[in-house]
Amino acid sequence: MVQTLRRFFLTLLFLSISSSNTFAVNAPEQDEEPILDVMGTVADHDYLKTPAGKIYLPRIFYWEDASGESTLDAFLTTKSALSSGMFVENDEGAIVPAGGGAIVLDMSITSHLIYFWMGMGLAVLLTIMIAGRYKKGVGRTVEPKGAFHNTFEVLFVFIRDDVARGNIDDHKADKYVPFLFTMFMGISFMNLFGLFPWAATATADLTVTATLAFITFLITQFSGTRDYWGHIFWFPGVPTWVRFILTPVEILGIFTKPFALAIRLFANMLSGKIMIIAILGLIFIFADLFGSVAGMSVSIFSVTLTVVLYALKVFVALLQAYIFTLLSAVFIGMAAEDHHHSEEGYHTEHIAE
Amino acid sequence: MGLLAAGIGAGIVALGAGIGIGMIGKGATESIARQPEASGDIRGAMILTAAFIEGVALLGAVICILLALGIGQ
Repeated sequence: MVQTLRRFFLTLLFLSISSSNTFAVNAPEQDEEPILDVMGTVADHDYLKTPAGKIYLPRIFYWEDASGESTLDAFLTTKSALSSGMFVENDEGAIVPAGGGAIVLDMSITSHLIYFWMGMGLAVLLTIMIAGRYKKGVGRTVEPKGAFHNTFEVLFVFIRDDVARGNIDDHKADKYVPFLFTMFMGISFMNLFGLFPWAATATADLTVTATLAFITFLITQFSGTRDYWGHIFWFPGVPTWVRFILTPVEILGIFTKPFALAIRLFANMLSGKIMIIAILGLIFIFADLFGSVAGMSVSIFSVTLTVVLYALKVFVALLQAYIFTLLSAVFIGMAAEDHHHSEEGYHTEHIAE
Repeated sequence: MGLLAAGIGAGIVALGAGIGIGMIGKGATESIARQPEASGDIRGAMILTAAFIEGVALLGAVICILLALGIGQ
């Protein structure tokens, strides 16, 4: 029984893979929009999808023409950029200057950038709103009012006490709370915006997460104490020849930490999105292979699973924001830590030598 | 060929991450059972360590996605 079932599922699996493969190959030749565009839903676009339709976004190019003269041009949409005659679309679908030359810097406003602004803007707006309440004394002299204010206070106190003060030295921790809280709220909102069926997840873009990780990287380096740099370039308490191995490793470690931070958030959000599309896509694959009845019966299974996955994604969205913030705090805490050399450093140095 | 490599790679990545996170879960639940009063600290450390493993696993998963889509060929 199990054997038969397994054989059946394996056959289905192979069929679906091979059919989707040929489908993907044939799609560009037929020149129509494919039913299932997995990467299209996670990629950055020049338009904003809304339930009502697409809103096209402005394109800003800093470009160099054939003679080497560089200009900055802004267009309302991609279409107007093409119809102005200055730019053409090449075979790969990229925009290039019509008379030769190249685009030096593409500063176009894209869908991910819009959602990035929305996430960060909402975080700032909320914080300013609540800060106004605290200034009036609500929450300080009397207790916070309303579910909204209470939720905010719980989150803020969690970030301050558990994340910041738990990982950074006490007298320094409060300095980093604004940064950590902005990161937490901003990333949470960006992740949660991505749960709308029409919306783009800004954090499923490596450029966004890399920017966020780069900010953490800068703050970590600038808050590094003498001990931090000492541990990187001249590790205390080990023989000198070991230091020649340790120093490159430690220098590499400075860069791998924010790199892993960026990749973690990016891949988590991307895989969540792809998983939903793939499971919903099973409906279309089955309908294509075995007719609409099979598609309908698979949709019962697919839609149920998607609902469960969506609940999981809400949790993952908040968890990833928390992990990003927590790891930022840990890295900053490691850099800003005051070592007590009289206790450990010199002691181990003496033992080693 | 890229699809095959991506499939096998994704499987191995899931295997590694599963073993790693499973061991963390085992350690954490055992420690909580021994010392229930420290469960808050242990849970925090558990999530942190799991995040590290997840990061490495997702690095592999990203490469699998790139392979499957044939980017870079």
